[in-house]
Amino acid sequence: MALIQAILDGVMIGGVYAVISIGLTLVFGVMGIVNFAQAEFLMLGMFIAWFAWAKLGLDPLVGAFLAFALVFLLGLAVQHWLVRRVMRAPEVAQIFLTVGLLIVLENAALLAFGSDFRSVSTPYQTAALRLGPLFVSVPYLAAFAMSALSGLGLWWFLRVSWFGRAMRATAQDPMAARLSGIDVDRMRRLAFGLGVGLSAFGGAVILPYLTVYPTVGSQFVVLMFTVVVLGGLGSVAGAVVGGLAVGVIQSLSGLVFPIQLQNLVLFVVFIAVLAVRPEGLLGKAR
Amino acid sequence: MSDNDAADRPPRLDRRQLVGALGGAVAAPFLIRRAQAASAVNIGVILPLSGANAQFGVNSRNGIQLVADQINAAGGIKSLGSARVELVVADATSTPTQAATVAQRMITQNRVAAILGAFASSLTLAISEVTERRDIPLLTMSFSDQITERGFKSVFQVVAKASVIGAAQFDGTLAIAKKAGTDLKQVAILFEDTAYGTSQAGGLRKAAAKAGVQVVVDEGYPLGITDVTPLINKLRASGAQAVFPVSYLNDSLQIIRVMRQQGLTFPAIGGAAGYVIPDFKSGLGEYAEGILSISPANWDQDPALTDTFSKRYGYFMVHEALEHAVCLDVLVQAMEKAGKSDPASLREVLHGTRFEGGWTKVMTGGAVQFDAAGLNTLAEPLMVQWRGKEPVTVWPERFAKAPPIWKA
Repeated sequence: MALIQAILDGVMIGGVYAVISIGLTLVFGVMGIVNFAQAEFLMLGMFIAWFAWAKLGLDPLVGAFLAFALVFLLGLAVQHWLVRRVMRAPEVAQIFLTVGLLIVLENAALLAFGSDFRSVSTPYQTAALRLGPLFVSVPYLAAFAMSALSGLGLWWFLRVSWFGRAMRATAQDPMAARLSGIDVDRMRRLAFGLGVGLSAFGGAVILPYLTVYPTVGSQFVVLMFTVVVLGGLGSVAGAVVGGLAVGVIQSLSGLVFPIQLQNLVLFVVFIAVLAVRPEGLLGKAR
Repeated sequence: MSDNDAADRPPRLDRRQLVGALGGAVAAPFLIRRAQAASAVNIGVILPLSGANAQFGVNSRNGIQLVADQINAAGGIKSLGSARVELVVADATSTPTQAATVAQRMITQNRVAAILGAFASSLTLAISEVTERRDIPLLTMSFSDQITERGFKSVFQVVAKASVIGAAQFDGTLAIAKKAGTDLKQVAILFEDTAYGTSQAGGLRKAAAKAGVQVVVDEGYPLGITDVTPLINKLRASGAQAVFPVSYLNDSLQIIRVMRQQGLTFPAIGGAAGYVIPDFKSGLGEYAEGILSISPANWDQDPALTDTFSKRYGYFMVHEALEHAVCLDVLVQAMEKAGKSDPASLREVLHGTRFEGGWTKVMTGGAVQFDAAGLNTLAEPLMVQWRGKEPVTVWPERFAKAPPIWKA
């Protein structure tokens, strides 16, 4: 029974990991840029949701949409004025830009919000559903449901809508896309905005069970990269599989080992997977 | 070569120097007058005002500022010619090296008579190395045993030591449970795995062994933990009758929330820090009610005094604010008695006096007295329990303001 409980907890946490990591893989897939600042957009999303809760009385699950919208706009601007300029630059320049962005965002947040830990209080925060001997934490379930919702939305967008197909075309072959009349720059802006917006959305939905502070991104950045590389860099479905896998591995390791070794177990599995499948679970061999 | 050129030239006053000299001449009378009237005593305050412990640092600063303003409003330090208390506040961030550098600078540049600080034990230890070398008294409310166990002459600890606090956290719990008719046989310890958590967990473990109580879960976790569910799953399966979490704020909120989700209602007894500040209440709402914690001091030991704090800052006087207020009050009393502010006479008075009245009334024993090592021998830790918006003292009985509630 402890095993089923651990898997259940892992799946719910993993769903959230998937959504915060999809953005990273999307940006890489469409633009070939590794955004080291991705986790800072998650932090921004958490802060927006916190302020929406504190000032407007919005539940973080509703504030998540606001967080998505605002960070999406910020993403458009960042892509247009900063990232676009290094698209053709050497990789080192791209790394410096996104790492620089990470440092700027983190310290700007410290300046603006101070280093306090902030937490929301919602009625469902301490509720759990009981399925026989199993406990389903309501805030985890809500975060998982919202994550699944946004994942489905993204799936629909990429599969069905014209914009989504144009975006995938841009990812596959920017030149051919341009020749077919697709505004490649616009697609990249959109991809970057969507990518960071989704991370912000993920940040907002986990706020009911976490606290937000300017350096919270550092708790997630390594996790996000693990999820994305495990699933296959650039693959959206891979990020979902990777996210669920990371959540379940972490949760299961807690059954056997002390919680301090959680990430040790995770990385042992991670290295083993990469040794066998260097392209990740769902990645295309290059 | 150029030096020679310059030397050959006759001295000339250029425009910039002229302006400077004139400005100086105009300002001089004011500066001199200020220096005379300012018979002020500089007191250094080093606290973590940014970084992970900033909240605790700000609370502490509020407490010190309150007392400084009260003393100045009442006419300053009389035996020093009504000298004003002038606080020199600096941020220690959360790094010991930075704290030591700041202390060094305060002593050489600001000529502080004494230093107060720095909440976190690791910072205080670093500062004490500097103050001991320069013979400057350091008054602190940090818990660590090491502070007064190194044979230093210029360090003064107004609270009980960490090992005493850890043992009291356990013994108090045992006593409260017994009174309610519960015999504790199995308990759990959860602790964040930095210096504070590990040392206090050590005290708990020892006390449990001494009392013959079995520790069924004993787990450290990283400070920045984002998912405590595996810990609580273990806790639920363990059959523990009570849990001792030693945590800062972020982790304390997660632990209590997930416990409540899983319907675990057995008592949680916090280890001060995250469990006795207003944010704990605002983060948990009604679920904070009834949570116990150890605390080195509590506001309700003399509400008449601590109300001045809550009136000014809008929240109850948290223990770190209160103990820092006591540090400053004791220091000023020592200056008043010595009639001097030089380190040697201050140290002598601090060691040989029983300080009474003023803010010392909030401390257990109603006074402060340092032994040769600089430890306040009268300080005793208290058990507090959340009632509404504030933690109320419930143990030991002679300090209790309300009977403890134990829900087994």
